[in-house]
Amino acid sequence: MEQFIQQLINGLAVGGIYALVALGYTMVYGVLKLINFAHGDLFTIGAYLGLTLLVSSNLAGLLTPVGAAIAVFIMVSLFVALIGWILERAAYRPLRNANRLSAVVSALGASIFFENAIMLIYGARVYVYPEFMRPDFSIPLLGINVPFMRLLIIAASVILMVCLWLFIQRTRMGASIRAVAIDQAASRLMGINVDRVISLVFLIGPGLGGAAGLMVGIYYGQIDFTMGWTYGLKAFTAAILGGIGNIPGAMLGGFLLGVTEALAAGYIAMAWKDAVAFLVLIIILIIRPTGILGERTADKL
Amino acid sequence: MKKIGGLLAIFAIVFLFAWPVAAADIKIGLMCPLTGKWASEGQDMKNIVSLLVDQANAAGGINGQKIELVVEDDAGDPRTAALAAQKLASSGVCAVIGTYGSAVTEASQNILDEAEIVQIGTGSTSVRLTEKGLEKFFRTCPRDDAQGKSAAKRIKEGGFKKVALLHDNSSYAKGLADETRQELNKAGVPVIFYDALTPGERDYTAILTRLKAANPDLIFYTGYYPETGMLLRQKKEMGWQIPMMGGDAANHQDLLKIAGPEAAAGYFFISPPLPQDMDTKEAQDFLAAYKAKYNSLPVSVWAVLAGDAFKAVAAALKEGRADPEAMAEWLKTLKNLPALSGTLGFDSRGDRVGEFYRAYVVDDKGAFKIQAK
Repeated sequence: MEQFIQQLINGLAVGGIYALVALGYTMVYGVLKLINFAHGDLFTIGAYLGLTLLVSSNLAGLLTPVGAAIAVFIMVSLFVALIGWILERAAYRPLRNANRLSAVVSALGASIFFENAIMLIYGARVYVYPEFMRPDFSIPLLGINVPFMRLLIIAASVILMVCLWLFIQRTRMGASIRAVAIDQAASRLMGINVDRVISLVFLIGPGLGGAAGLMVGIYYGQIDFTMGWTYGLKAFTAAILGGIGNIPGAMLGGFLLGVTEALAAGYIAMAWKDAVAFLVLIIILIIRPTGILGERTADKL
Repeated sequence: MKKIGGLLAIFAIVFLFAWPVAAADIKIGLMCPLTGKWASEGQDMKNIVSLLVDQANAAGGINGQKIELVVEDDAGDPRTAALAAQKLASSGVCAVIGTYGSAVTEASQNILDEAEIVQIGTGSTSVRLTEKGLEKFFRTCPRDDAQGKSAAKRIKEGGFKKVALLHDNSSYAKGLADETRQELNKAGVPVIFYDALTPGERDYTAILTRLKAANPDLIFYTGYYPETGMLLRQKKEMGWQIPMMGGDAANHQDLLKIAGPEAAAGYFFISPPLPQDMDTKEAQDFLAAYKAKYNSLPVSVWAVLAGDAFKAVAAALKEGRADPEAMAEWLKTLKNLPALSGTLGFDSRGDRVGEFYRAYVVDDKGAFKIQAK
């Protein structure tokens, strides 16, 4: 039982990161019907930018580690959001009316561009976040010691996701995003500036992805320029699992994938972890081809 | 007038292009991953080999002939490696150094063999590479089975009774784990756990939780340093005190950065030694030159083994064995050449001879310390 709870918490922490990254895939898909393959690399950029800001700006000297973490968190999110916005302008907007395959190729190209740009700027060696950033204590919970950072990651990702959900459901801008997801042409007729909504989506998704990158950097310490690939693939899977285009679905898919992986590693065999996770994906897609929460396109987002 | 001008221009061009050919350079190829996942290894390989080439040229070349290094990127990918090998084969090199990774090396082997070019693998430890009977293939790295024997010996000497073996499903790490398991079975040391993790991930707590339930007294992870660092770090976070051991893919200074000094303390691995841990003249001279040029220390032993490969080629050229056929024949008789990682020699299959594994332990300050033999 103790081991089960331990594995559950392991899985939730991993799943929280998957969910945050998955939101970026699912939002862009909901609005544009485009898989933004460069999203995993925006996540990597978040991790690298966070490190640069922490090490070079001496923020930790000016503020407490907690203050520095929050300041960096905000700066990284804003900066990666900006890169996401530029990406949409440069790589996707010119292809808005081209067929969908061209946009997918453009997305793959952007991914390769970002990955190699990071390698050329930072070099190919792994980077490691400074140790002082990590609160290094555990909290006893249900009879086991849970590292504080693990709880923090789960909490931070849930808070970010709830904020996003409220934004989409309760605000005017959120309503226009939902409208564009349902029908672009009709939204335009209703006086919604579709280009601005799409830009907004490309600010929010990458911003959250960048924040996830920073969280991975601070907690796990090690970052390298290919890390976006692994996380991007898993997050993409999570988005499909929950029903791509659906925001609560991405959250659910992320946590579900993380927990499935941890339990498979714990009770079947570590080597089969990914196989089990993808088997679950296949079974769910056979039963529900649109994913767990995926419904009619009109209800997405 | 125009005609004469044109003629002059043609002469100038011919002269320009003909001049370097007249010096009759000897071309040596280097194949390494300059991009992709193992780019840091490849960039180190290029740094080290080009440093040695510059040194040789500054000393007047080999037998008066300058060395020209032709570098091709294999991106750590077998398909790209096949292209790189073809490019090198058509560029007129007499020998190719590299590359990193057994699968990548294997993709280039037959191409270079058909082109009748000597190849010296540097990070290519898979046993079968030299079992194919290729006449012109050599390697400066040890074979996986040699490492498995050495690892099993250390485990037995350490008095461990319940060993957990963990690999990453790469042919290298799996080969080493299998080899070690066989040797441990022979020696009567029980292996109570055997499984694989997925490399490239950040979170290995699920795996560590499972390992802890199996209650071993030693974890031997045969994979690479990025995952080793994460395992050490997360093991400490769990508050689990258990000795952990690694193979030569752990021999990279970045392991210490990733794990942090506290979590890494006590970790040990077996590996061919780095030049900074050697007291031979060759190692010290090389180290001084490397520091002067790059203002740092070499971090990976595999890049140093590329330097050894160049030493072997240079020694053959000095003997006048520039023809690949003659070079391969001569290399098979090579014994006790002073090189960067100890004395170098090859057997008739092209494998490096001699036991040169050493044990490293991470001390309390978080630094690799080589153990006495």
